[in-house]
Amino acid sequence: MNRKGAHLHPMAWVAWLVATLGLLVTTRNPLYLVLIFLCLAIVRAVIPTSAGEAWTLPLSPLLFGALIVPSTSLFNALSIHVGDTVLFRLPAWIPLLGGPVTLEAFVYGALNGLVLTGLFAAFTLVSVALPTRALVRLIPRAFHPVAVVVVVALSFVPSTLRQFQQVREAQAVRGHRVRGLRDWVPLFMPLLVGGLERALQLAEAMTARGFAGADEPIPASMRALVTASLALILGGWLLELGWGQEAGYLLMALGGVAIGYVLWRLGRQAPHTTYRHEPWHPRDWAMVAAAAVALLPLLLLPLAQRMSLYYYPYPALTMPAFDPALALTMLALLAPAILTPGSTSRPAPSVAPDTSYDSV
Amino acid sequence: MRDRLLSVAIYGLTTLIGLVAFLYPFFIPVVRGGAAMQGAHAADAPYFLTLLVVICFVVLLLEVQGQAVNAKLVALLGILVSINSLLRFVEIAIPGPGGVSPIFFLIIVTGYVYGGRFGFLMGAMTLIVSALITGGLGPWLPYQMMTAGWVGLTAPLCQPLARWLRAENTGREVAVLVLFGVVWGFLYGAIMNVWFWPLVTGPADQYWEPGVSLGEILRRYYAFYVATSFVWDVFGAVGNALLIAVFGLPTLRALRRFQRRFAFDYRPYRPSAA
Repeated sequence: MNRKGAHLHPMAWVAWLVATLGLLVTTRNPLYLVLIFLCLAIVRAVIPTSAGEAWTLPLSPLLFGALIVPSTSLFNALSIHVGDTVLFRLPAWIPLLGGPVTLEAFVYGALNGLVLTGLFAAFTLVSVALPTRALVRLIPRAFHPVAVVVVVALSFVPSTLRQFQQVREAQAVRGHRVRGLRDWVPLFMPLLVGGLERALQLAEAMTARGFAGADEPIPASMRALVTASLALILGGWLLELGWGQEAGYLLMALGGVAIGYVLWRLGRQAPHTTYRHEPWHPRDWAMVAAAAVALLPLLLLPLAQRMSLYYYPYPALTMPAFDPALALTMLALLAPAILTPGSTSRPAPSVAPDTSYDSV
Repeated sequence: MRDRLLSVAIYGLTTLIGLVAFLYPFFIPVVRGGAAMQGAHAADAPYFLTLLVVICFVVLLLEVQGQAVNAKLVALLGILVSINSLLRFVEIAIPGPGGVSPIFFLIIVTGYVYGGRFGFLMGAMTLIVSALITGGLGPWLPYQMMTAGWVGLTAPLCQPLARWLRAENTGREVAVLVLFGVVWGFLYGAIMNVWFWPLVTGPADQYWEPGVSLGEILRRYYAFYVATSFVWDVFGAVGNALLIAVFGLPTLRALRRFQRRFAFDYRPYRPSAA
């Protein structure tokens, strides 16, 4: 799915991601968590997948949840001995674990595991929905060399994998068998040395094509401004920490803005060629608006209405509160399912990663 | 001279802010005292300091990449990161026991041979590239990148000891790196705990809470670390040690050989100089 306009703009996805993460981190109410999971599942089922899904998912969110939720609930139950409903008791002489094991602790651990699974699922969804090329483009332009390294590394992953398979076959023909850790040395060293040889060739090819670094890529004035900004941030932080002065926040904000300015200036200096422009459509605005609606309860609603977000099973389990208006705003997380073009048809995923990085 | 001073200032300030941001749960109660910690901003501290860590990481990355931009570095780094990311892919597909991770071996050895800046980029880039190919993007990524970057950045600290032992390309040099790998096996786990520890809530005496004394905070963190991470990190440290012990010597020799082969420079042709 690399054709022009075949997916929502990456920044629109970032807005959606921020809204999803904000809600997930804030709430422990199981009813709202289930609602968010439903939204994620529907979006996942409906949106078309970018090339490379099979490559990018060695661990699905479902499997992640199946591993994490039992382990967090078990850990919480064994280490937190609070709650009215005692399931059984561990001998008191066991350090840290001894004491009553309660249903409430199990539930709270499971809720924390669900939140972790939700975070993983949200990030995975964005990885699946966007081609890797679009994710790489999210790297700010000021980090052009870093972006080039990322592109080189991603581009060479398939060939490195092929090289490893060739080395393994060649060693197998010679009768090499892997029995212990030392037997990996004859497999790893040719891979490393072959990689270094290719790096040499690549460096020559890049230089021949005009890729060269400047003697002083970042002007000294910009570096001085960064140093001053860091000093402002540290000074402001110490002012706030030591004396509780609100002016400290102002100094830190100034430092942050100055660093943002440096990034912007350096980004403008970075060479940038766009072969496939990512247009910003009205549907991207709609996605941003939906993200704002989903986050609205956290920012605008009176505290009394927001309270249902926070659920605490201790000391005894109670039925979690449910506010229909709040739930309705959360349904805005379904926006990608409605707004993504071609969301009814899902092409078969490719087994190779998308390596058509046309610009950084 | 001016560049060197600016570099020292940037490294110093980012390290200081990074340390403050990572270690604030331990010293905030001492600086502010219990009563003041119950103030309006106490609960916001973890989120606020997350922002500080991200700013530090951004500045450090800018400084490191700005000092060494050339085709050789980009190509070398790209290929080594690609190899290391595949190791991470293997780690996720076939999980080892506890915190065993094959990626730190190459970060430590390349940082040791090619210098701290290269090591920092190697650590940070490995984490982001492997996250992109394994779908491992998440709120933990900036912290992982920063901490893995620190692993590579600090690897050259072993060089004085190795020189003192006159240990180049010998088992003693590998032993120094094994020790370094063991230390970072525990340190990586302890640092990665600290970023989320204050955000975890629970009624037991293992969790951070604004307003409690330093002694109590340390006791709680110790209990939390022993219960959740110690065994995990033991596996991580042993894994690092084994990998460095087995692969260390041939890898050091190969990296040094290519260091000499990469020691050439392209100079633009200037007719006036000819």
